[in-house]
Amino acid sequence: MNRSRLMKSAQEPIRAILGDRLALVGLAVLLSIIAMALFAPLLSTHAPLAVNEREEGSLFTRSVDGEQVRWLASPPLGNATLNAADYRDGLGMAVGRDGVVWRYAEGDWSRLDTPLSTTLHAVNIREDGATLVAGARGTVALWTPDGSWQTYDMPEPLNVNGIAWRDAGTALLVGGGETIWRLDMASGEVTSLESPVGRGFDLNAVALDVDGSAWLVGDRGLALHLASDADTPSLERLPGNRELNHIHIADSGAGLIVGERGTLLVRDDAEASWQSQDAPDSRAMRAGWITDDGHAFAVGRSGIVFEREPGGDWQLMPSDEERHLRTLMVTEEHYFALGSDRFVNRLAPPSGEHWFGTDHLGRDLFSQNVHGSQIALLVGFLGAALVVLIGANVGLVAGYFRGRTETVLMRTVDVMYGIPFEPFALILVLLFEPSLFIVILAVSLLTWRTVARLIRSQVLSLRERPFVKAARVAGASDLRIMYLHIFPNVMPLVFLELAIIVGVSIIAEATLSFLGLGPPQSISWGGILHNARLSGAWREAWWWNLPPGLLIMITVLSVFFISRSLELVANPRLRARR
Amino acid sequence: MSSRRSYLIRRVLHGFMALFIIATLLFFLFRLGLPDPTAALITEGLTPEERERIRASFGLDRPIWEQYFIYLANIVQGDFGYSFHYRAPVADIIWERLGNTMILMLPAIVLAYGVGAPLGAWLSWRRGSRADTSGIFVGLMFRSAPMFWTGMIAILIFGIGLGWLPTSGMRTLPYEASGFFDKIFTLDFLHHLILPALVVALYYLGSPLLIMRNTMLEVYGEDFIEMARAKGLPERRILYAHAARNALLPVVTQLAVTIGLAAGGQVVVEVVFSWPGLGREILNSVRTSDFPLAQASFLVMAAFVITLNLLVDILYTMLDPRVSFK
Repeated sequence: MNRSRLMKSAQEPIRAILGDRLALVGLAVLLSIIAMALFAPLLSTHAPLAVNEREEGSLFTRSVDGEQVRWLASPPLGNATLNAADYRDGLGMAVGRDGVVWRYAEGDWSRLDTPLSTTLHAVNIREDGATLVAGARGTVALWTPDGSWQTYDMPEPLNVNGIAWRDAGTALLVGGGETIWRLDMASGEVTSLESPVGRGFDLNAVALDVDGSAWLVGDRGLALHLASDADTPSLERLPGNRELNHIHIADSGAGLIVGERGTLLVRDDAEASWQSQDAPDSRAMRAGWITDDGHAFAVGRSGIVFEREPGGDWQLMPSDEERHLRTLMVTEEHYFALGSDRFVNRLAPPSGEHWFGTDHLGRDLFSQNVHGSQIALLVGFLGAALVVLIGANVGLVAGYFRGRTETVLMRTVDVMYGIPFEPFALILVLLFEPSLFIVILAVSLLTWRTVARLIRSQVLSLRERPFVKAARVAGASDLRIMYLHIFPNVMPLVFLELAIIVGVSIIAEATLSFLGLGPPQSISWGGILHNARLSGAWREAWWWNLPPGLLIMITVLSVFFISRSLELVANPRLRARR
Repeated sequence: MSSRRSYLIRRVLHGFMALFIIATLLFFLFRLGLPDPTAALITEGLTPEERERIRASFGLDRPIWEQYFIYLANIVQGDFGYSFHYRAPVADIIWERLGNTMILMLPAIVLAYGVGAPLGAWLSWRRGSRADTSGIFVGLMFRSAPMFWTGMIAILIFGIGLGWLPTSGMRTLPYEASGFFDKIFTLDFLHHLILPALVVALYYLGSPLLIMRNTMLEVYGEDFIEMARAKGLPERRILYAHAARNALLPVVTQLAVTIGLAAGGQVVVEVVFSWPGLGREILNSVRTSDFPLAQASFLVMAAFVITLNLLVDILYTMLDPRVSFK
């Protein structure tokens, strides 16, 4: 009989919620948030703390605004990294990952269909526009302006890093392990040329000089010179012994070699010797380009661009974004820098890939927000349950026994009322390590006071009711009267307080996490906002601030709506007046 | 009359007791959590003798009971010790920060209650209407949104987006002020006050609004309202002159409690708006392990809350003749 009474007292709040439209909406919202927390791993599109990277065929264009030179990001060319580019007489070609080839003509970029699928590392254009591309695993192919492709078989599947037309009928290819191949275009025959060093260093680039000879550069400052009629290259001594990555020689004979740790070697004309020049920054330079009059450019990782006016010093130029630049292409009108490895996708606005954008470390914010619901609800419900458990029992005991018990308990409540919440939580964290336990402890230690007071005042009037007196006369024990006779009658109030305190706990948790006092290495809505504030990027990245706050708000709001309908049960006087 | 007086005396005594208990708890909590509070102060490479000298200069070499009584005696004299971080007396720092906090919180709370209570009364009059529903909704919405988030969004919109208002600090730097009042009686200060005060006010708005509305609904059922109606008084007069006056009591109570808690400041608002108040100071003192400052700030806040709670009880005895003095 008593059980049925308890059941009945639990049924009433449920009926109240179902009867109130706002409460029903609140319940629906709360249930979806709970579902979000339960199914967070399924719902999130990414691992919430994983750094997301992106790849694109970055295209930067040099722009001059008065005196100010800046390399601006243009719309990227597809999503594959571009490794090499060449330009001659109105035709530009850029090649990259997975056999991607882009053609530049009359100011427009277009993607060519290719039969290739391996990553391409080198490209060189012949005077008539015929273009050789080469890349990983011995991939070599010839494109002719009529649109046809012809592939060549190499003797070994070695990576080809550099390619240059030696004359109209033969090409030089260089690659890993000091490989130098001479390809006869008509027969497709490949002749292997022997390097004078023979220590297996990688060769990274090759360029044809104005006199028809070829320059080959590679690891450890290795530089080889192949005379126009010779079959054996000779070793050249260049300043420095850093890895050399790229060589470019203009038609005028001006030349530029770039390499690791800001290595820049320049010669002003065909007769001059290679001179080492000071770089403004000792980063790895990936590619260089020099014009006929000696205007030189070099690019590297993280959007590094160096420039040198003819006869001047190298300067570091500002560029838009930290893309890894891998190659340069200079036309009559434009200066292009191309590249981009995988780069960290920082502070990306919302997109199809990242619905709520990314944070300063390139982590997916949608997934973080989804996972954040777990801590909010855990602290919300666990904290509220604990609070109501303590508060209701203290109130029940104090109200029922009265006398000294009541005095002691209520004085304790008075003391608790003198403790401000946030500072108390701060002190707790100062003394102990921040953890989920401390957060829940702080919330529950300071919120049970309200519940205790409310329940006590309710119990005070209940204990004088006839049914309690009847139970006492019938010989029921104190515990029995308290928990089986009085408690069901304060249930509506308990439910009401439970609902209110869930909301209070969620806000309290968010507040502590926002102040950086939440458990480290966990994801919570307040923690997301803490990160946003700490990074300083929240002033621009609205997609970082907005969702966690809105989620907190609708969660707490839904709980408040539910509690308002419970209020009608707890305080029937209100019902009559609505 | 004498029962009222003895009741008041007992309440004051209870207040002091609570404060004493909190001070004691605080002392032992700190000694428990931080066995060596000077750890933050002592730098590497000190000899044990120098270390011991520093500990002795803070009285930490004495037995814990002696430390406790010295601590209590100092508090009674208003001496809160010496801040590790600022290398200045804690009391001076705290009074200044408390002033900064109150000059932000008081206008905000007054605004919230000045708007919220009349609005709540009006909503109760129009109960069930669309205005009533949306009023409750807006009040609850700002109550549900974490204050630091509302602050951040306000900064984004009015500070950065529109550029109307400053978003950090109490004054434009650098400024010179010879004292507290010199600092705040300027247009520049008012300019800095608007945004944080509005954010706090919006958060607190829901409380008086809902309390007023619900109490009014209860009061409408009382006999004296029926009486007023029977006398043929206009509805507006019944609302404000009869019902509202009687519904104000819970609102006033809540107001006093809110002001008491305001001393602790809304730590988050002070953090978001870089307001040099007591709440932000306690956060900083926790970060820098400046335990004398943290301890004293907390005690001052607790004293404030207890005093205001006491004031509520006294107010009750004066405003509501039905209160029994048990």
